[in-house]
Amino acid sequence: MKAPTLFDYKEVVGPDIIEELTILASHLANRSIKMVNSTAVGGGVAEMLHCIVPLLNELGIQVTWDVIQGDQTFFDITKRFHNALQGQEDYFKEDVFNTYLAYNEKNNDEIDFGEDLIVIHDPQPLALINWNQRRKNKWVWRCHVDMSHPNPQVWRFLKPFVEKYDAAIFSSPLFSPELNIAQYRFYPAIDPLSDKNRDLDAVYIDRVLMQYGIPRDRPIVTQISRYDPWKDPVGVIQAFKMARKYVDCRLLLVGDKAADDPESEKILEKVRAEAGDDPDIHILLFSPSIATEINAFQRASDIVIQKSLREGFALTVSEALWKRRPLIGGAVGGIPAQIIHGHTGLLVHSVEGASLGIRWLINQPDFAKQLAENGHQRVKDEFLITKSLKRYLLLLLTLDKQKEQTIFLSY
Amino acid sequence: MADVFQFLSSASLEKLTGRKAETLDELLNLINTCPDSSIFYHTFSAYMKMREIRLPYNNDFSYWISNGLNEKALAEKIMATDLSEYNTLRSLRLRLIDIIEDYRNQKSEAFQKRADDPFHLFDIIRVVYLTDKFAYDLKSFREAISTISIYSIYFHFIECQLEKDLQTNDFSTWIESSLNLPDLAQMIKRIDLNAYTLEGLRTRILQLIDGYLEEISKGLTSAGLDY
Repeated sequence: MKAPTLFDYKEVVGPDIIEELTILASHLANRSIKMVNSTAVGGGVAEMLHCIVPLLNELGIQVTWDVIQGDQTFFDITKRFHNALQGQEDYFKEDVFNTYLAYNEKNNDEIDFGEDLIVIHDPQPLALINWNQRRKNKWVWRCHVDMSHPNPQVWRFLKPFVEKYDAAIFSSPLFSPELNIAQYRFYPAIDPLSDKNRDLDAVYIDRVLMQYGIPRDRPIVTQISRYDPWKDPVGVIQAFKMARKYVDCRLLLVGDKAADDPESEKILEKVRAEAGDDPDIHILLFSPSIATEINAFQRASDIVIQKSLREGFALTVSEALWKRRPLIGGAVGGIPAQIIHGHTGLLVHSVEGASLGIRWLINQPDFAKQLAENGHQRVKDEFLITKSLKRYLLLLLTLDKQKEQTIFLSY
Repeated sequence: MADVFQFLSSASLEKLTGRKAETLDELLNLINTCPDSSIFYHTFSAYMKMREIRLPYNNDFSYWISNGLNEKALAEKIMATDLSEYNTLRSLRLRLIDIIEDYRNQKSEAFQKRADDPFHLFDIIRVVYLTDKFAYDLKSFREAISTISIYSIYFHFIECQLEKDLQTNDFSTWIESSLNLPDLAQMIKRIDLNAYTLEGLRTRILQLIDGYLEEISKGLTSAGLDY
């Protein structure tokens, strides 16, 4: 499929939004950005860069994207760093840190950093700054990780590198640590024209549901999430069972297994045990998932649930809200930024709360519809890729003037 | 010939400060010591956030006081602060402090409460820029209002009050001074910001212009120059 252009987004967000992007970009003629991350495919960051890089180029900004290279040794270390920054207990020997630095230094030798703005995504290439301290351009670290409870040892090691940057970007104030550099909030965003989010033909949706044996005879309650204890799939089944004493519905759990997570097989066993042989509970396992099918499951759902116990940002919430689905979400991580309780969905704190939410939304379809409509509008205002484009343009416009409160652009 | 009105717009980047409050005393401390741009972000900018989902909300401080501390009366008092009356950041900051300090006399126990979810202080960098939309008379003004972005409406109707310490908005000022239509200017000035989303504000301005033109066509209102 041909990649969407800015013109295609006009239909979705309105011509005025695209016009303002072009005005901001007109003040940035010939400026350049380099994005650096650790993978070209898979994961939310790569997905976002695939979308945002061509659109920024279309706006006249010279944007390039480099992927750092490494072998299994390096990526095992960075995976451990990632988990540790998200709070997992771990202990790192000194040679682990040295190996991480050696790979970053090797990558630094192979990448040219001549652009006006260098955006380094996540911890894997974070230390590249170490060999670029005498620079004329600006460097920003974009952290996509939930840093609310970082492992102290790994944070002690990484923090001095972060503070060598000109600024850092986090998705939420909950994730932002104390730093001596400027910090910005950039919400993550979804692409409304991607396979995961674009409009689908009703016939296709019916066919997907039929293919996976999901009857559409009753309201469908769906959670789409990795089988991971923090997503609480067992709690979702318990909430469903409690709700079904009062309302007739089906439960659909759709998820993939994290290949690098030995715990995921155990949690899947627990999920299956909790579901028992209940014919109204459908457990689907993908590896990997197909974007249009996930889209179809969301669109076929009467209620979408994201009952996480700990969460990064959970863009699955924005995906479902964009499709005008009534949402029930755990009040953790980035979910409260997307779900304003009672206005764009229901925030819950327990299995019982989730169960009440299911009952309430099935019995109050008008209320559910209003929540879904509000949720769609909130995503349109804050969590679409066009808003990310605007933030990057503003970052480029303001980085030289961080001390100023207001910048007037004139021709 | 009326002066040309060139529409401006604004955008902003949100800065995390790392500062937060869990009690009313801590919030007071933040309000007392934060930069003007933080006061702006949590009050004026709040008109941009969540307005389009029709949440009765115009102020981050009141939203947190209501939801985080469950002090509804104090939240309402703060929410009712009229930005056109306290249209400098200095006066707005002092007004917020006065309201919270007064509440201490009414309900001192509220100051003992600690919220589970803290109030996070933000700062902001604003970027103001020219658009390619112009108005020369009431007709072209009406056309422009229907096509400019909500950010431009926000800038001229809300943010400009801060820029110019005016107790009115840019649209009313131009309509009165350049088009010589004081009645229409007054009607637009009286629009209650708290009752509309930004899209609703656009619709309301268009309704007022259309109504005014209709009255003129019926000879009910004295016509101004060059409309």
